[in-house]
Amino acid sequence: MISLFYLFLLPLVALSSAIPATSDYHESLTLQPLPQSALLASFNFRSNASEESFDERNFRYFPRALGQILQHAHTKELHLRFTTGRWDDQSWGSRPWDGTKEGVTGVELWAWIDASDDEEASAKWITLTQSLSGLFCASINFIDSTRTTRPVASFQPTGDHSISNNLHLLHGTLPGEVVCTENLTPFLKLLPCKGKAGVASLLDGHKLFDASWQSMSVDFRPVCPHPDECVVQIEQTVDIVLDIDRSKRPRDNPIPRPVPNDQLVCDTSKAYHSDQTCYPLEKTKEKGWSLSEVFGRSVSGACPLGNDQNSHDETVCLRVPHEREVSISLGALEIKKPDGVSRCYELQPFRDFDLVIPEQDATTQVPLEEPVLRAERTIVGHGQERGGMRIIFDNPSDTNAADFIYFETLPWFLRPYVHTLQATVTGRDGVRQQVPASQFIKETYYRPAVDRERGTQLELALSIPAASTVTLTYDFEKAVLRYTEYPPDANRGFNVAPAVIKVNGRDAANGRSHPIYIRTTSLLLPLPTPDFSMPYNVIILTSTVIALAFGSIFNLLVRRFVTVEEAEALGAQTIKGRLAGKVVALRDRLKGKTSKVE
Amino acid sequence: MAVDRKAAVFLAAHALRLLLALFFPSLPNLLTGRVEVSTPITSFKRLQEGLYLYQRNVSPYDGGVYHQAPILLPLFSLLPNANMSPLITAIFFSLVDLVNADALITIADSGQAVSGRFYTALRKHIRWDGLSIAAWFLFNPFTIATCLGRSTAVFTTTGILYAMSNAVSGNSLNAMLALGFASYLSIYPALLFIPLVLLCYDQRAQKPTPPGMASFAIKHFMIFLFSIAGLLGVSSLIVDDFPQFVSATYGFQLLVPDLTPNVGLWWYFFIEIFDSFREFFLGVFWLHLAAYVGGMTVRIRRQPLFVLTSLLGIFAIFKPYPSISDASLYFALLPLYRHLFPLMRYTFFAISAILYATLLGPAFYYLWIYAGSGNANFFYAITLVWSLGLSILLADIIFAALRDEWEYDNPEIRGKDVRQV
Repeated sequence: MISLFYLFLLPLVALSSAIPATSDYHESLTLQPLPQSALLASFNFRSNASEESFDERNFRYFPRALGQILQHAHTKELHLRFTTGRWDDQSWGSRPWDGTKEGVTGVELWAWIDASDDEEASAKWITLTQSLSGLFCASINFIDSTRTTRPVASFQPTGDHSISNNLHLLHGTLPGEVVCTENLTPFLKLLPCKGKAGVASLLDGHKLFDASWQSMSVDFRPVCPHPDECVVQIEQTVDIVLDIDRSKRPRDNPIPRPVPNDQLVCDTSKAYHSDQTCYPLEKTKEKGWSLSEVFGRSVSGACPLGNDQNSHDETVCLRVPHEREVSISLGALEIKKPDGVSRCYELQPFRDFDLVIPEQDATTQVPLEEPVLRAERTIVGHGQERGGMRIIFDNPSDTNAADFIYFETLPWFLRPYVHTLQATVTGRDGVRQQVPASQFIKETYYRPAVDRERGTQLELALSIPAASTVTLTYDFEKAVLRYTEYPPDANRGFNVAPAVIKVNGRDAANGRSHPIYIRTTSLLLPLPTPDFSMPYNVIILTSTVIALAFGSIFNLLVRRFVTVEEAEALGAQTIKGRLAGKVVALRDRLKGKTSKVE
Repeated sequence: MAVDRKAAVFLAAHALRLLLALFFPSLPNLLTGRVEVSTPITSFKRLQEGLYLYQRNVSPYDGGVYHQAPILLPLFSLLPNANMSPLITAIFFSLVDLVNADALITIADSGQAVSGRFYTALRKHIRWDGLSIAAWFLFNPFTIATCLGRSTAVFTTTGILYAMSNAVSGNSLNAMLALGFASYLSIYPALLFIPLVLLCYDQRAQKPTPPGMASFAIKHFMIFLFSIAGLLGVSSLIVDDFPQFVSATYGFQLLVPDLTPNVGLWWYFFIEIFDSFREFFLGVFWLHLAAYVGGMTVRIRRQPLFVLTSLLGIFAIFKPYPSISDASLYFALLPLYRHLFPLMRYTFFAISAILYATLLGPAFYYLWIYAGSGNANFFYAITLVWSLGLSILLADIIFAALRDEWEYDNPEIRGKDVRQV
């Protein structure tokens, strides 16, 4: 069967060597154990297509479905992110890919669109979001004008664009989108091996979306290694932080159990230590795990489309110290890197690959990189009428000031008051002092929201001095919406998109400054809600009050005054008056008769 | 002596406001945040935000926060920042209140409320002097709350009161200019034009060689339009994008897109109304507001000042973004008709309803927004009671005015029970 497939594949391989090397495919997986039994797995899939073949709609590794959408929407560069969870930079250190491959919680999309003016760009953007929505089974079509911004300084194109293009950057977020399996399946479908072979075969929705943090990204950009030779590149990444203990639990018995008594390691030096009481000691041994335990399956061989015949891809890399014992499946080749903390494996096509790290004593750890900046954003205040936003920037460096761009988009029903923007700075000595915000803000770009049309866009160029923590606060007011504008779970609150922070990288070695992105957590904003059950009652009651006022005033205005006697005389002449008179006379007669009988 | 008494009342009112602002420094900001005091079109916090943007060369109208007239921007740019020096702002707003009270004294002392061109009230001896009415206005808790809350509705109040005071003193040109100013700030005072021009005409007609009614009205309408056009012209110098400013201020007041709770009837109705009926009811509500002008002007032609007063009462109930400052303006003008009080029938009920709503309104709002133990219907019910109380008061005083007119026409049946047919 396999040999038959090989036969079928051979012409393809021959073809691939015939066309220029610009059309290729690479994939890789980097595994890095993190503290607290976490494991970071970074998948990367990259393929190129020459610009000519892309323009001629001659797709090879490049996914046709996406390519046609991009061509239709005149999108020259696209970045799409699906993220859930929170990257815990206190224990996990700096972010993978310097944060460039992750997005805000939910869905984040930004693209450079070639259009003659803003309106055309918006129209193409709508086309793009509608099509991507269908392709990725996500609510991307809900990125309307209120969720779209045009960032000024926070994003720069990463591709090489020709000057003739009139590019417009549009950026949209869906902070409330729940990323799940239905987004993973189309994501994998974009890969040449469709997740059936190669490292992508590890990606299983059950494990992926059970992770502490995960981020999927799709990046499309043109790259010109030489001025006259351009390729379009699509890069897909999946980064997940798995809890090893949690992932190793069998699926049919996922409830964690307490450690049995005889396996507990107790601190016997404690005075209260006995058979009944135990002060558990931290485990000195590093946990053992294997790919098949953590991901629920092993890698089903290398993707045969990925490897060029001559070069060998080091597909799976593991960042553990060299003295750590690692056993692998037969057929794979281990290459230890000179840095002492990473090793890579070459995979064979059609041979399952598994990697087992037994439980062993941990002597050294792979050093984690300290994040250049920590940021935290929260909503403060109580009540559903107004509140405040508090953003805390912490510069851990003792020598360098952190220069960065802070970018946030707020929904229109959150009305910020920029004039209340205040800053406090706390040094390492813990002394707080209030300072004018302009001391840190070098530049501001502010575009206020318009009700039901667009959201607030705030971009600040900030500089936080070394070894200090700066807190920015501003007040906001919450709008009351029309009752049809509330979602079905109105009292849950509304999602506010996280802020995006672009730190200008300090990497001066290669001359090119590469940005580092940090995203805060998304926020939940409770709004005052009307009573959804009684639109009819409200319409009726309000109308009654209005009718009462209108009726009583116009009654006074149109009628004329008479004395009571005149009124009775007048009343007696009308039909109603006469009838009433007859009735009274009849009653009197009846009364008279009964009294006679008595 | 009279001057001394006036000075004493004004000084006391001024001192009271400043002392409140001094001894309770958080009070102005608290009141600014109250929905009963500040509406989206009069909020001082929104003005500060607009000012902040204006001073940084960002158009304040290119956003959803600032909806007030542009002329306030350079005016408040001259004042120091209210957060840095709150006392200066407090003094400024307190002075505006005193200016309003001064106009009120002019109106009251003219005696137009009791005797006009066609009509003299029978009970005209029952009246308060101008200073008492001014004191009633200045020491009204609603006025004080509005002043401390720095609501920009006080400028509209100034425009309206000056229009009326100039009209009763026969200065019709200034009256039109003042009304133009008020209409420029917030559109609804334009509806007062017809009764105001009648009031001006009645004053003019008592002088020798009165002009024709129609030519007088047209001439004053032109002055009115001219004053608005002049102010809009000044505005176009202040703001860059004129259509944007018009839609952000007048469009906003007409279409009521911001449904922040207030003491009026519109906000909850337009939260709950079905989307397809929104435009229709918007039209109905505005038409309803405008409908009173014609009816009252025709029926109570002999007392245009009373028509003005009652229309202000109607606006305080039925305009899109009413606040207690509108009610305080109505309550300020009511004592002009002290002679009608004996003819009113439901004063106890109306005053009880208003007091009930005043006391329970903040409590119910707290239950809804902060405590979470009540829902929106709590505050909505209170706004209904408030509107009902005010409309009973309004209807009752209109009844009293009509009855007084009727007794004036038929002196022989004074004091008898009446009925309307």
